[in-house]
Amino acid sequence: MSHVWLPCGLYHQEYTQDHGWWQTPLIKGKMIFLLAIIFIIFPLTLTGYWFGVANMVGYTALGALGVQILIGYAGLITLGHAAFIAVGAYTSTLLILQFPWPNFFINWGLAYPISIIIAGIIAGLWSVLFGLPSAKVKGFYLILTTMAAQFITVDFILTQYISQIGGRGQAFSLPPGTIKIGPWIIDSEIKTYFLMATLLTLCVVIVANLLRSKVGRAWIAIRDNDIAAETLGINIIWYKLLNFYVAGFIAGLAGAFWVSNTAALSPEHFPWFWSLWLVGVILIGGVGSIHGVIFGSIFMVLVMELIQLGVISLSDVFPELMIKFLYIKESVFGLIICAFLIFQPRGLSYRWWQIKNYFNLWPFSY
Amino acid sequence: MELFLMSLINGIMVGGVYALVALGWVLIYKCSGVLNLAMGELTLIGAYVTLTFYQAGIPFVLSIVCTLIIGIILGILVERIFLDKLIGEPILAVIMVTVGLSFFFKGLIEFIWGTNTRVYAPPIFPLEPITIGFVKISNVYLWSFILAILLFVIFAAFFKYSHWGLAMQATADDETAALSLGVSARFVYAGAWAIAFMSAGVGGALLGNINGINISVGYLGLLVLPAVVLGGLNSIPGAILGGITVGVLQNLSGAYLDQYFPGGVKEVFPFAFMAVFLLFKPYGFWGWERIERM
Repeated sequence: MSHVWLPCGLYHQEYTQDHGWWQTPLIKGKMIFLLAIIFIIFPLTLTGYWFGVANMVGYTALGALGVQILIGYAGLITLGHAAFIAVGAYTSTLLILQFPWPNFFINWGLAYPISIIIAGIIAGLWSVLFGLPSAKVKGFYLILTTMAAQFITVDFILTQYISQIGGRGQAFSLPPGTIKIGPWIIDSEIKTYFLMATLLTLCVVIVANLLRSKVGRAWIAIRDNDIAAETLGINIIWYKLLNFYVAGFIAGLAGAFWVSNTAALSPEHFPWFWSLWLVGVILIGGVGSIHGVIFGSIFMVLVMELIQLGVISLSDVFPELMIKFLYIKESVFGLIICAFLIFQPRGLSYRWWQIKNYFNLWPFSY
Repeated sequence: MELFLMSLINGIMVGGVYALVALGWVLIYKCSGVLNLAMGELTLIGAYVTLTFYQAGIPFVLSIVCTLIIGIILGILVERIFLDKLIGEPILAVIMVTVGLSFFFKGLIEFIWGTNTRVYAPPIFPLEPITIGFVKISNVYLWSFILAILLFVIFAAFFKYSHWGLAMQATADDETAALSLGVSARFVYAGAWAIAFMSAGVGGALLGNINGINISVGYLGLLVLPAVVLGGLNSIPGAILGGITVGVLQNLSGAYLDQYFPGGVKEVFPFAFMAVFLLFKPYGFWGWERIERM
């Protein structure tokens, strides 16, 4: 991430202040205000529809966070991330529905939180399995292996085998009331919103701290020039596989969260289109920054909502627009990606960085 | 034995069409270094355009010629509008622009023509199969293969005997040297995209004959990626042989493995094979090798 200048006249006097995450009292105030907005003000002021939108933003952001770790921080281009989200979702569902939990767990509502964590672990391991070729191939060929991961996992294994467990056919349906965290039953949008906000905040904090540590520096070194990183003694195969694991873990968390958002689960929720959507979110938000993930998710979801509103209001004049809405969504997605890559290749987070630095360096910015 | 021979021959015939599409892909990569993930949608465009011309009453061969002309125009337009500004950008940006293009085309095609399966009516080729010995070959496959070979010969003649063909070969070989000789790289890029649109278009029209034209023909265009990996990204004979190999693999796996994995192994098998193949020979059979130990 590019350097953010401190406001004029602010000096640190101890190393701990320099290492700090929130370096000025103004930033501390802003971040606490942001957390207050997310956790206190939004739940009090928004209506049900906007909670759905916020949940979609959170789900996209969790998925895109995994992709950002892979692409933006280690340079491993992936086009198959939806497969790992699907693995997480299916693991969580199968654990809730099929595992014989002792009554103690069900009464205290511990089944779903444990299934979230186990879904993350298994999705991470599955991701490492398909990350093994990265020890030998890179660039375009890695794209092809991750694409193969997507098709093999979702279109083949999930559709043919896992969906048949329990004889249900294609989709698993979760009866309302099975998803409990502690004493709360997650069955309305506002409770899903709290779950999303907690998960997203935790994941962002964990990933940001991981990037400040030795592991994160190794990843950035691998992204910039992996042969030079190896000459410095970094074991690139180990760090690449670790990267796949962390990205897969977060994808598993995203998938397990998705389970609480829908009433039924089927492989059609995780098409190749979704993997490409997540990469598009990263590119629009800015590759290589966590801000980019959040900005990209908000931008894409809001643009889609705006198009939907536009289509609904125009549907009196052109009634076929409603029927063909999915096609409009796809072509607009394609055009937005092309437009951003041609005109704004560094993404929205670059603009944000420019605006921040303008205010920080005022009146000396030139 | 009979099943094996029939699958093999069907595979070679379908593989010929895949090879045609792969030829366009390799040409774009060799001339400009762009990894084009929109190949599926280019085949769709060709298929639907040919269908529209055919339904307007124009005979089939003439419809294919019209598709070729529209392919040239579209290729030059796409290259000028979308890809000129991306020369020199990192590889991810270029790939994602082609992905964005693919979604744009797909949405546009679904919007204009809808998602119902269309067929060529009246059917172009006679419906009874030709019997050679004990093997039955359907007319559709046979004529598609012959048409693909014909187009190969035309392209080979273009590359060998015409001025622009030689210029494209020179740019693919060493771009700086070609620039120093006065070859315009932008014309060559536009030409590469035009040829890719043409070959994918004809490939789509021929593939649409087999099972009807709908959006899933675009998925067949995605199979060009295993084909070029098997043959090597940089080599045109490799693309041809890779395409034929993918066709053969598809049909053989469909014939023999369908009993073990019910349903759907035919689409996934080339990708699974490619994933395993990448571990042993990442540069394909004929690709240029970059020796780099990781």
